[in-house]
Amino acid sequence: MTTQNADSAADPAADQQPPQAPAVSYDEGYDAEKELHKLLLPNVNDLPISPSSAVESNFVTYLAPDFLKPEHDQYIYRHANGLCVIGLAAGHVAFKDEGAITAVDFNVGKSNRSEIKVTGKRKRNAQHFESNTALCKVCTNNASYIVRCCIKGSLLEVNERLLKQPELLNSAADREGYIAIIMPKPADWQKIKDSFISFDEYKKLRHF
Amino acid sequence: MSDEYVITPVVSDPNLAASGDEVTDEMKLLENAVQELPANAVKELITHEVCVRCIFRLFNIHEGIHVLVSPTILYSIIEKATKLEAVTTKCSQMPEGKSNICSICLGVMQFSYRDQREMLVEKDHAADFAMMIAESVKEKYHEITSFTLEVSLPTLIIENESVILSYMKKKYASEVWFQEKSSFEHIISVKDALKLSITNSLEVSLGVKSSVSDFRIRLTYEHEDDTSAENKMGKNQCNKRIKSGMYGLRNGFVKCTNATVQSGDVSDSNFQLKKVGMPCHMALTFSQAPVYIGGRYLKLSRNVSQTRWIIDDERKGEASVEELIGENILPMCNGDGYKFHAAGREDIDVRMLGSGRPFLIEIQNARHLPSQESIKEMEKKINGLQSNLVRVKHLKILGSQGWSLMREGEAEKQKQYAALVWISRSINEDDLETLSSLKDLKVLQRTPIRVLHRRSPLDREKIIHWMNIEKIAGSSQYFLLHLCTQAGTYIKEFVHGDLGRTHPSIGSLLGCRAEILQLDVTDVKMDILNE
Repeated sequence: MTTQNADSAADPAADQQPPQAPAVSYDEGYDAEKELHKLLLPNVNDLPISPSSAVESNFVTYLAPDFLKPEHDQYIYRHANGLCVIGLAAGHVAFKDEGAITAVDFNVGKSNRSEIKVTGKRKRNAQHFESNTALCKVCTNNASYIVRCCIKGSLLEVNERLLKQPELLNSAADREGYIAIIMPKPADWQKIKDSFISFDEYKKLRHF
Repeated sequence: MSDEYVITPVVSDPNLAASGDEVTDEMKLLENAVQELPANAVKELITHEVCVRCIFRLFNIHEGIHVLVSPTILYSIIEKATKLEAVTTKCSQMPEGKSNICSICLGVMQFSYRDQREMLVEKDHAADFAMMIAESVKEKYHEITSFTLEVSLPTLIIENESVILSYMKKKYASEVWFQEKSSFEHIISVKDALKLSITNSLEVSLGVKSSVSDFRIRLTYEHEDDTSAENKMGKNQCNKRIKSGMYGLRNGFVKCTNATVQSGDVSDSNFQLKKVGMPCHMALTFSQAPVYIGGRYLKLSRNVSQTRWIIDDERKGEASVEELIGENILPMCNGDGYKFHAAGREDIDVRMLGSGRPFLIEIQNARHLPSQESIKEMEKKINGLQSNLVRVKHLKILGSQGWSLMREGEAEKQKQYAALVWISRSINEDDLETLSSLKDLKVLQRTPIRVLHRRSPLDREKIIHWMNIEKIAGSSQYFLLHLCTQAGTYIKEFVHGDLGRTHPSIGSLLGCRAEILQLDVTDVKMDILNE
């Protein structure tokens, strides 16, 4: 807006005609920008030192400790829309191995989970799994561990980045190192949710 | 066939005496035309309870349809011409002097119908009928500049007319008058005859012309006995009897088709006409083309959704832009309802600031077209609301092109945002350089988890045209991120990365964790509704 006014002032031809009133005058335009900027700037005193993360704000965190096997701890982040993100919890035995996780393999059970293609709003072709169905295998130098669905539902997506970057599990298992996204039916979720514990309970359990 | 003629008794009709004195030109024309009518055919039609205007219609005597006199007078004219008086002695007494329902037009040409309250109404002629319609219009609409008349009739009318015509053609094929004039061809339909007869009177009563118009007057005639809608040949071949007096049932079938000849031989006594005891229901409705009012809106609150959002009877947010604007504009136009359209949308917790977002309100059945001044007043009023949740700019009335204006290029437009971002370490000068040096950065976004339940899982490539960091005094880890992106980019996910499903993200570009606390739209770059 301000540059527009500058141009017309410099243009000699404009002097010959009655000056066109621009849509917003210089002052008004400048004021509008100042007003806008005032609205945008936060009050520094209101800013928390460490704000809650996107995961904390948008999901409810559940933990499934010792899922089917001791120390096979997994987390479930459940979004308000019903989708669940599954991953390895901090206390999972795989992290205790020397060198931590070195590889991830989605070829378990009857199919390679990283090859499913789910399409459309209705999520066609999504495979329906039980809570104990294997999602993938995580390997360390010493052993390999099966990661399971934890909840019954349709598998929408696996984190295939783990194939090329298994180290994501070591650095950010709770974020970029998630394993998969599952969509349970509301009834199936109701049945199983009480078997999980909260993050605080988990911390106590594992003495973090 | 019965010998009884069911005509309204002519003897004691006062109208007859009056018309005898005032013979207008039209009446003279009519009386002349009527002389040519073949008495035997007319008698036949009357026997089958065809009303007088339909008789005129079948013989193409249009004056008889339009002339503003009662059916009684018309009958007397026909009687005189065809010398039927001798046979009208026996007439059955009709209750309340109302005429029998015409077997072709079901009362439509007789201006006889049942209204919404099931009351029987009968008007003498087109002008009375038009007057009734005009009065109804004037009650509710004060500002019409033209009108379009629409009429909808039951298909039974066409069917019965076919039956009668084919019968008449067969029976009188050998007559001289039939062959001379190629009779019963190109007959004006009941619908057209009705429209023609009342249009002039309506124009006079309303003071405006009939033309292609935004204002529609609709007459919908319906009859319970009109089962043709569901009547396919197959369905109706059961031995069901139709209640309202069918005569001439053949083998228990009812054949209702639009073809002129149903069965092979249509003899005198075999005549499949479906008669009714009551006239049609007539519903009179009006509609006005919608009025479009457009402008740009600003959303100043983080607790107001764009459109009405109610789940399980609970409203999300404290209000909606749609309602705040619509509820104020609707009464000004005296409309029935409104629809809200906007060029794009923002989340409930995202403010819409700066230039504002273009929107359109479609007011349905607006009875009052507001002036530009009252629109300006409305703009001030909305902006002056105490709650201060929403503002409007450049409010004005648009033509019907308003709709296409919205859709035009919406997908290509760029949007500008300001986000309040936190990173997990202190900001340094390199960071500012890193982000502002990136122009037209390509970003691959997998469908964000928060919408994955209702959108297709896809990878969408979007462009971030430019970005820059504005440091915030007093904070080392918070900053304002200004950015301009392609339409359809998910900004929140671009900041926090959505668990790595949006790549690159602010976090990945700066090599740390990034979170977004607030988002504001600061500019929607479209060339419409800018003044």
